[in-house]
Amino acid sequence: MTASAVPARRPGAAAVVLIAALVGLLVVLPLAGLVRVAAGGGLAGIARALAAPQSVRATVHTIALAAVVTALAVPGGAALALGVERQEPRRRRVLRPVVASGLIVPEFVLGFGWTQAYGPAGLTDRLAGIPLPGLYGPAGIVLVLATHAVPLAYLVVTAGLAVRADVDLHRAARASGAGRWAALRTITLPLLRVPLLAASALVFASVVNSFAVPQLLGTPAGFATMSTLVYQDLNLSADPAAFTDLTVVALAMVLLVLVAVAPAEVWLGAVRTRPPNLDPPVPAGSGRLVTAAVWAFATLTVGLPVLAVLLAALTRAPGLASVPANWTLANFADAFAGETGAALARSLWLAAAAALLVPALGGLLAGLRGRLAGRPLAVAVTLSYAVPGSALAVGVAIGYGRWLAGTALIILVAYLAKFWILGYLPVRAALDRLSAEPVRAARVSGAGPATTLATVVLPPLRTALASAAALAFLFAFHELTMSSILYGPGSQTLAVVVLNQRELGNIGTTSALAVVLTVPVCLAAAVLLPRRGRT
Amino acid sequence: MSDALDCRGVCLRYRAGVPVLTDVDLAVAPGEVVALLGPSGSGKTTLLHAVAGFVAPAGGEIRLGGRTVSTARRCTPPERRRVGMVFQSYALWPHLTVLDTVAYPLRRRGVGGAAARTRAHELLAGVGLADLAGRRPAELSGGQQQRVGLARALAAQPDLFLFDEPTAHLDAHLRGVVLAEVAAQRAAAGAAALYATHDAGEALAVADRVAILYGGRLVQVGTPADVYARPAGPAVARLTGPVSVLAAPARAAGPGLVSVRIGTVSVTVPGEPGGRILVRPDWAGLGGDLPGRVAAVRFAGPHTDYELSTPAGDLLIRESGPPRLPAGGTTTWTLRRLWPAGDGTA
Repeated sequence: MTASAVPARRPGAAAVVLIAALVGLLVVLPLAGLVRVAAGGGLAGIARALAAPQSVRATVHTIALAAVVTALAVPGGAALALGVERQEPRRRRVLRPVVASGLIVPEFVLGFGWTQAYGPAGLTDRLAGIPLPGLYGPAGIVLVLATHAVPLAYLVVTAGLAVRADVDLHRAARASGAGRWAALRTITLPLLRVPLLAASALVFASVVNSFAVPQLLGTPAGFATMSTLVYQDLNLSADPAAFTDLTVVALAMVLLVLVAVAPAEVWLGAVRTRPPNLDPPVPAGSGRLVTAAVWAFATLTVGLPVLAVLLAALTRAPGLASVPANWTLANFADAFAGETGAALARSLWLAAAAALLVPALGGLLAGLRGRLAGRPLAVAVTLSYAVPGSALAVGVAIGYGRWLAGTALIILVAYLAKFWILGYLPVRAALDRLSAEPVRAARVSGAGPATTLATVVLPPLRTALASAAALAFLFAFHELTMSSILYGPGSQTLAVVVLNQRELGNIGTTSALAVVLTVPVCLAAAVLLPRRGRT
Repeated sequence: MSDALDCRGVCLRYRAGVPVLTDVDLAVAPGEVVALLGPSGSGKTTLLHAVAGFVAPAGGEIRLGGRTVSTARRCTPPERRRVGMVFQSYALWPHLTVLDTVAYPLRRRGVGGAAARTRAHELLAGVGLADLAGRRPAELSGGQQQRVGLARALAAQPDLFLFDEPTAHLDAHLRGVVLAEVAAQRAAAGAAALYATHDAGEALAVADRVAILYGGRLVQVGTPADVYARPAGPAVARLTGPVSVLAAPARAAGPGLVSVRIGTVSVTVPGEPGGRILVRPDWAGLGGDLPGRVAAVRFAGPHTDYELSTPAGDLLIRESGPPRLPAGGTTTWTLRRLWPAGDGTA
């Protein structure tokens, strides 16, 4: 279906100008500011900033982390996708949300949960005397980020499986004499080449983007990445030259991500969509094995860490055993003693504002579909999502600091720039599914343009707008990277308070706040996930 | 010589517990073509998948050429069953050329690359696609795609072909062409075949025997002429071609003869006794003693369908040639034979 599929009046030039202006304000202005400051010292300044030993170290660390995590998470996610998606529908419906469960826990809570579950004095250490060696340091970061990225790769490969690797293609190979592995090697994997590349790009970018886990597990061990370096330099140094150097590092992060993501964007743009095969898939004999593997993975990587956080939040003091006799709500009371209540309220209204504005922005942009100007604007919004949060936040600080520094509004600007795409993608997908026939049918049935819009066009979009709102709320509520750079006195978000409590070493209050940070997200996901599982 | 396929008491259910196949007994002799005829959802594809080894039966056993390949306990994987399958969706691999697709089963059997391609070329020439060897599936029409699917199944040199509604996605005019191609190639290969379809004409035309699957059970197995003339019930009758059900009891009136009263007139015709009767459109004709009104007339080219309202219910009569009567008038008709409708649902 092309633009002509949608009946409603084609957006006029005024709409294009409005959206272009919004893209300019939210995306171009911050990035231009970043480039301007970074280039301020000239080529020599850029070279000096990049050649500084800590920059070189952080860059090498970031690239190595991203490469290793991608190499681990993409095959892992692909294996899970192949295992789960080839199960019968009932089992698949149960397993999908189990695999994806890691995505609804904030990255910070997950990383903190790992330290409470597997770190020194963590659950396994206290119960069995076996802490996970190397959790603080590169090995731990790789492990946590890889398990966090597996569901991401899984989702991308699953979408690819549905569109590209019809079960009959696998069956045809088996009937032609190919064994399980031969069919995988000669048919399924070649068909999944594009989704696998897309998953790799996505995982790579998400690792470069990642801040909470490297900050939690790397900083105590003296292991810096580009995102933790930007955060540290921003917090510790007031020197303008240091700020310029930091923008150079931030810009290097942007380029690193663009190198990884831009080709994938081109490949993904070429994806041919075909209605997925609704056949009952091959009930593989390995159903029980896959189920066991999925539950074990989710339990070890998400379940236990979250449980450890919950226990730590309920336990009177860090050293004590987590038995009912030692349980208390004092940690929650302590946690909310200071500014926390205000921060929670701030996080909630920021997330609510994002949930309201992101679908609106996304719907506006999706409405430009088919206009020449729509494509570059959509690319700009896609790139602003890919740009690492640290870099975008520095750009927003440069672009808006003069007017909004230290207010929560500047954080909202960053959220809107970063999460705009979460509103755009679902609405565009819903518009793409909307064919011309129902609209024409409504018109010949006697509905005027307004009635057609209200009765035929909007109802299918309502679901898309609702999921956009839910996603924007989730992402905004547990956003840490940008908030931790942009907050000022009296404008912390809850995630920032949690991070600061952790930096102060308050395990009990950190745990209590992590629980508070996770619960609304899980509730929202409980509303969102069953709807997606049904498709 | 053992049967090419022998299903004994095959039961299959998905985990929800809903039975998909119940006690299916079906044998296919070497070189025989059996059509598996049933409405959508009757379990045709599932039975083919069980024979191919894509699903395991919950009970019963499946033998191929005398070799037990499926029981509830043990299932030989599909690649070791020597079956050739043609799919409704064509199931052509988008990343492989036509030549590589047809060479694929040979390569899996260990034939060298050059030899496999030579043989694939021969097979493609056999289905009239020699010129398209270098194309990919997306560059082929539906009919061409399905002929590639056929050549791929032939390449496997199977002992049993499994055809899963191979013409269902094709336009009406292509359907006949591909059906003829499938039948001719199958005959040349000489192997047995199980041909699933929901199209009565296709089943009757292509098969030595027709097996009718309804609600996961085999309700009738017989020659095409047999299932057409003596369907096991109204549902089987509708599956195997056009039919009318009249509410008129047929009473025995001598060996192989029954007497039936329609309105005020009684006639004696060949048939079996029963409570309601089935009449094929070619078992009745215009003109005669029985009363009726012409409700509708549909001209179809070589023949014309007349829909009659009779005292016993609606009746379809098919006569060759253009319409001889206008709709709306009264007419008379003749019953030449009938078959009892039975009382079961099938």
